Amino acid sequence: MTTAAKLTLDDVAVWFGGVHAVDGVSLVIEPGEIVGLIGPNGSGKTTLLDAISGQRRPTRGTVTLDDEAMTGLLPEARAKRGMVRSFQDCRLYPELTVEETLLVSEDARRRVGLLSTTLHAPWARRSERAKRAAVGEVIEAFGLERFRHHRTQELSTGTRRVVDLAAIVLAEPRLLLLDEPTAGIAQREAEAFAPLLRNIHEVTGATIVLVEHDVPLVFSLASQVIVMETGRVASAGTPDVVRADPAAVAAYLGASPEALARSGRLSSAD
Amino acid sequence: MHTFAVAGIELDTFTVVQGAIQGLLYGLLALGLVLLYRTTRVVNFAHGQLGVVIAVFMLKLTDELEIPYLPSLLVCLAFAAGLGALSEMTLRRLFKRPRVLVMVATIGLAEVLYLLSLLRIFSPKQTNVPFPVPIDWEIHIGDGIIPPESVLTLIVAPLVAIGLAAFLRFSPWGLAMRGMAENTDSARLSGVWVKRMSTLAWAIAGLLSAITAILYSPGRTSTLSEALPPGVLLRALAAALIASMTSYTIAFAAGIAIGIIEQIATFNLVTDLHSTAYITLCLFLLILLALAVQVGRLRRDPRTEERSSWVLGGESGRARADATRRWVGRGGVTIALLLGAGLPFMVSEGRSLTLSFVFIYAVIALSMVVLTGWAGQVSLGQFGLVAVGAIVAARLPDMSTILLLVVAGLISSVVAVVVGLPALRIRGVYLAVTTLGFALFMQVTVLPNPCWTLPFTDTDVCTGLPDQFSTYLDRPDLFGMSLTNTRDFALFALGVLIVVLLIVRTWRDRGIARRLIAVRDNETAAAAMGTPVVRTKLLAFALSGFLAGVAGACFAFAQQRFSAGENFGPKESILVLSMAVVGGLGSVPGAVLAAVYLVGLPFLLGSTGTVQFITSGFGVLAFLLYLPGGLGAVACHTGDLVAKLIQRTRAEPTGADA
Repeated sequence: MTTAAKLTLDDVAVWFGGVHAVDGVSLVIEPGEIVGLIGPNGSGKTTLLDAISGQRRPTRGTVTLDDEAMTGLLPEARAKRGMVRSFQDCRLYPELTVEETLLVSEDARRRVGLLSTTLHAPWARRSERAKRAAVGEVIEAFGLERFRHHRTQELSTGTRRVVDLAAIVLAEPRLLLLDEPTAGIAQREAEAFAPLLRNIHEVTGATIVLVEHDVPLVFSLASQVIVMETGRVASAGTPDVVRADPAAVAAYLGASPEALARSGRLSSAD
Repeated sequence: MHTFAVAGIELDTFTVVQGAIQGLLYGLLALGLVLLYRTTRVVNFAHGQLGVVIAVFMLKLTDELEIPYLPSLLVCLAFAAGLGALSEMTLRRLFKRPRVLVMVATIGLAEVLYLLSLLRIFSPKQTNVPFPVPIDWEIHIGDGIIPPESVLTLIVAPLVAIGLAAFLRFSPWGLAMRGMAENTDSARLSGVWVKRMSTLAWAIAGLLSAITAILYSPGRTSTLSEALPPGVLLRALAAALIASMTSYTIAFAAGIAIGIIEQIATFNLVTDLHSTAYITLCLFLLILLALAVQVGRLRRDPRTEERSSWVLGGESGRARADATRRWVGRGGVTIALLLGAGLPFMVSEGRSLTLSFVFIYAVIALSMVVLTGWAGQVSLGQFGLVAVGAIVAARLPDMSTILLLVVAGLISSVVAVVVGLPALRIRGVYLAVTTLGFALFMQVTVLPNPCWTLPFTDTDVCTGLPDQFSTYLDRPDLFGMSLTNTRDFALFALGVLIVVLLIVRTWRDRGIARRLIAVRDNETAAAAMGTPVVRTKLLAFALSGFLAGVAGACFAFAQQRFSAGENFGPKESILVLSMAVVGGLGSVPGAVLAAVYLVGLPFLLGSTGTVQFITSGFGVLAFLLYLPGGLGAVACHTGDLVAKLIQRTRAEPTGADA
């Protein structure tokens, strides 16, 4: 378990020409929190994650991890500092097997020189064995044993998402950015994700930013909820505060009273 | 004559018009390439060859059968459209497969078309008769005369271009094609019959190619079969690339511009023996410039979204961990190696030199496995890197052999990284054209000229390469043993191959390959997991370049001299790319088998060069169409089968053989 990171956004904006996808978002996310980021389609959630993880350069504003400014750092450099993210499409690497996919995450952290690998240096062999052992443990923990040698393109979307989460756990994140981990999978499987995510939070101890359309899931997990609308923060606070906030209801929740009712039920059962 | 000079370059109207006429033909070719790329995402290397078949047929009709020009032309154009449509129907089943596979398939198609142009039904008895021209108009510019065939080009080519533009702009089919180019799936949902449209596009491309060849052929003394050589195709590709494979207007204009620039360069360098060398250099620089200017546009292009599909489908099925299967695999490899080591003693000395070429080609094929199979970067210029290795071997004759191989590898890998730099921003066809330019540049500019003066400055650039015609390279010693004997040398080459195989296997099993594949398949996700993307991409070029350089040094020793005109060119580069593809893109044993198949079989069965070329073209096409997993998959399945048989005989101990 690693120490969770604190994320600070100061006036982050991402403009595509005239379209202001993200338009001045300032946030402080405390270490170890689970923060739900919700909002209607096109409200800028994924773009904001892109700006945080370095896939997209913000038009203005700064992203700070703990006390270090992330400006100008490549995604891989941010990953090295413990900022790990998942993607909405969850394509993974179609040609690699589940085991290899997980080994790629291990490789990024335990680098072995090219020459040592080529010449079969003892430390290179030891490192490869260690990596395979670590991957084996995670495969077992996530119940992926059956798929170990399957290529990820052969898997169902649900299983691919589990593989993605397994890769994330291996990456030892300090800040985890999850982009719709339940998109494209059945409601029943999606419900199984709540305990899984909670488990990941416990195991890694990371701060989690969760972008999700499944509002009940978000409300049951998150300690803080942020509602986005047209690139801005419409409402923020604890789930109870947000649920009662007329601005949040107007922006998003109001669209579905059933969802509201269900979220109430789920979170009271929590 | 209206000669005028701009910045020290002399030019006159006549030269410009001449260049423009040449350029019109490049432009027409480029139009066909863009049309096919836009509608079906295929870079068609057979595009020029199709026209050659038609031109040859045209000559037969007019000269041998004495049919008048116009009826002959109509028959030929109908034939061209039919041949284009037929090509599409042959290749169609590959359109959903990785793009690189389709590209290599079109190279196979080109060779099949080449054979077609030799058939008696199509080719006339005499090919050295003048090609018919329907008009006898001439244009006088100063002292220069524009001959009738050029006047014909000047009239017809713009008309054809305008006709194509009108067709695409105003006809319903043109609209459907443009829709297809933007988004095939949406077009299909809106009721466009995509299959028929793609056949139509290929038929039109066939027409364009035929017209180009019919305009290009008159007044040329070279044999018709090579009427549109790689150099011409490269110019057309460069024009298409300047138009980022999308804009017809820009492609056509760029073709004309390239023709004019080329003509002016020839005019100014007419006293210089190396004028083609300079033109190739200029062309290579032009391609790089076009890419540099366009990088932003290419990235924003929605088409680049499908970049990964260029090579997807990679590694062919790997054996499951099962003791019997593993033993079968090891047994197969042992038998193959023993065969390789035994063969030099079973064949004549001359043949054993051939064997060493097979081993060397296998090493180059493995370098393509790393670059194309794993990293997904398509190179048409691998022999440019092999040439670098060969130069190093020629320059350092006194170095100890092992050290020399390593140095050659290292220098080649540095060059490979430089060539690969554009790949950080671009991929697929764009990179392929750049590397094709590099291969031509190495072959035409660097290798034949030990020293050349940079144009417009008085600086000499020297590779220090000894003269290619007089250099004789001694085969080296290895630990005091001389390798002069071809048998010993074949064993040495086999040894190099075995070491390279061990290295490549290590890369495959211990983390290098999976990193390359991860970055190829999903760059964003790999970066988000902390894989250094830039370094990984360049690593692929470095590793591949290293192997190519090692092979290059061996190549120089095997050949014992440089004949740059024949070797180290795009043809060889395409051959090794075919090896990687036929081997099954990413399969290590597959690549070695493909080298044996494409280089070994024709040599060992002792066929002539031409036949060898054709059989391989046919073979490649057949393989791609009917054995998509390549030789790697065939080997793997054979292994599975043998393992199963062994297990079955074990299960029934009453079996006949002990």
